[in-house]
Amino acid sequence: MNTVDEILDYAIDQEQLAADFYEDVAQRVETAGMKKILLDFSAEEKRHKKILLAVKTGEHELTPEQEILDLKISDYLVEVNVSDNITYQDALIIAMQRERAAYNLYSDMAKKVPESKLKYILIGLAKEEAKHKLFFEAEYDERVLTDN
Amino acid sequence: MSLKDLLSPFFVWQRAFEKPYTTLRPTLDRPGAPAYRGFHINITETCVGCGSCQTICQNNAIDMVAVDSYAGRDGDSGLRPRFDYGRCCWCGLCVDICTAASLRMSNEYAWISDDPDSFHFTAGVDDKPWQDNELGYRRAEGYHLNPPKRIEMPMLAAEESLKSFAEVTLGYNEEQAKNEADRCVECGICVATCPAHMDVPDYIHSIRDGDYEKGLQLMYRTNPFPATCGRICTRRCESVCPVGILGEPVAIRWLKRFIVDQVDKKDYKRILEKPIENTDFKVAIIGAGPGGLSAAYYLRQQGHAVTVYEAQETGGGMLRYGVPSYRLPDAELDKDIDHITSIGVDIKYNSRIGKDIMFESLLEDYDAVFLSTGLSVPSSMRINGENHSRVLSGLQILADVASDRDPGIGKKVAVIGGGNVAMDAARVSRRLGAEVTILYRRRISDMPADEEEIHESQEEGCTIVSQAIPVEIIDAENMQQVSIKWGEAKMVDDPKGGRARPVLQEDKIHTETFDCIISAIGQSSNLDYLSKEVQEQLAIEWGKFTPGEYQHTSMQKLFVGGDFANRTADAISAIEDGHHAARGINRFLNPDFYTQLEKQDN
Repeated sequence: MNTVDEILDYAIDQEQLAADFYEDVAQRVETAGMKKILLDFSAEEKRHKKILLAVKTGEHELTPEQEILDLKISDYLVEVNVSDNITYQDALIIAMQRERAAYNLYSDMAKKVPESKLKYILIGLAKEEAKHKLFFEAEYDERVLTDN
Repeated sequence: MSLKDLLSPFFVWQRAFEKPYTTLRPTLDRPGAPAYRGFHINITETCVGCGSCQTICQNNAIDMVAVDSYAGRDGDSGLRPRFDYGRCCWCGLCVDICTAASLRMSNEYAWISDDPDSFHFTAGVDDKPWQDNELGYRRAEGYHLNPPKRIEMPMLAAEESLKSFAEVTLGYNEEQAKNEADRCVECGICVATCPAHMDVPDYIHSIRDGDYEKGLQLMYRTNPFPATCGRICTRRCESVCPVGILGEPVAIRWLKRFIVDQVDKKDYKRILEKPIENTDFKVAIIGAGPGGLSAAYYLRQQGHAVTVYEAQETGGGMLRYGVPSYRLPDAELDKDIDHITSIGVDIKYNSRIGKDIMFESLLEDYDAVFLSTGLSVPSSMRINGENHSRVLSGLQILADVASDRDPGIGKKVAVIGGGNVAMDAARVSRRLGAEVTILYRRRISDMPADEEEIHESQEEGCTIVSQAIPVEIIDAENMQQVSIKWGEAKMVDDPKGGRARPVLQEDKIHTETFDCIISAIGQSSNLDYLSKEVQEQLAIEWGKFTPGEYQHTSMQKLFVGGDFANRTADAISAIEDGHHAARGINRFLNPDFYTQLEKQDN
């Protein structure tokens, strides 16, 4: 991926893949409550996709200079595998870790390119993933770590 | 007649042509003294409408009236004092008793009007020129007509309390209870805030009257767990007690306990018995915790046959298996539960739904079902090494101790978490002879545990390390021990304006070794006894129910309540959920009766 459009297309596809991933897991899980949560996650990924589509058309600007709080919650949690009976806690950990992986991908790519519009876009995409990770980490902080 | 008397009329005429000595309306130019007791001022934002001014007024010159802008505020009656200056004698007692120090007097004293009704006014609400007067009578600093300090609850000293699981609080004697009851201004603001809307001022009044049987009856109208709540209630009532604005709130919880302690269990039947007219309806309740048993009590009072299914061998739920006996002795919990069973509630112990009996069969066989199985599954830390054999669950430790089993914690323990389960696990560990360190992710001020629990855990020698984030569990050199890596956290503001969040500082990691690590970071529900098909029909989000009116679910016969159906997760909320569900089940079983009742009311 060498151009801005190529990287944006890649990022847009990734958001759709993430949305599809959550919908697939939602089909597998047994409880209606868990299904709903996963479908909400899917909807969140579709929202991210819409933002990136708007970036591509110039209707929305990425904000690479913005500082995004990193709660680092997901950094020290164990990897969770998808199963038919994942818990709410598991679902949030999966979501946090996916966002962290996406953030790392764009950050690493940004480090490898010289100063350019492409670098600017990659950093901007990394910041978007950081925002998504913060969303899930804040949910985890509120819903799971109630007593800690 | 003397010569002077004869000539005096002529001297009067002399005065007729002189300038008069009197001045018109002299008082308007003469301000009242700086501490003059003039017309009333009320700082209505500070006032909570407790009505103590109305109560103390010797001339019935004050009425509490509703003011729309204060309606519905938590900790506020929505009323403000209205003065009748036809009756007021400006003694200032209302200012002296004011619990919020919002009431004061201006140094203004002249008010001329030809409308007699204008001399009734609501201070601070009706626009008056003296409302912002700086001068006038104010209550002296530190002067209280009502004692600001509560009667201290006698307690076991920390060193003594650690020797056993004996109850730490010793209870008021009669003199202490009456003195504390006297501090209550009977405003009733606490009633609205209490989740169960207990008749607090009335039962406190019964202490003043020495009528404890009446006090017990009053409590049972809204709460079948007074012995329990008199010991461990979260006491939201006290947080809005107006006496607590300038002093310490009335010790409502301890007064509740005092009443229960005066009445022998064997007299409960005589004092509380009401005739029960049996109906043909049968209700099943799942869970013999405070929610389930509260529903059972009020449903049985309506005459329905009530059967409670409980998985454990005794009732009480978290009250039995989560709250240690030094806070809530078994005998007190049993006092509450035994009265509930004495009115005909049948509890089937060791009956696990989904194993011993199926949920669907209860729906089939009963006219209504109430679910209240709480939050019994401990959340896991999900950090590497958590499956180490020396990492134990706080809930399991408490259940073991409640069942007289040795939890095997060793002598040096770390407790992870800052809620009541963490505090209970820590204090239980101290009583088992362990040295305890509590590691909590945020600041002490953020801890969700009761402040009293936090304080007492420290008094009992627990060390709290705040802003400590667990990172990894690893083997210790000694196989009987375990090590934990934890990092220091810095608190950062939430960009969305929520509470501050802890962020790990990766260059500040510590490793410590313990005999065991007790995890108490939160709990969730176990709804495995509900089939997928049943769960599909219910509004369950994040493992919690969101019931509708009267705790009713979308399934016709099913009602839910307790920790997995409310946001507060305390005993009193579960008790009220149970009572509210009982009202809902009655309406569900007798719809015609309630429709007629509503028609009559309208």
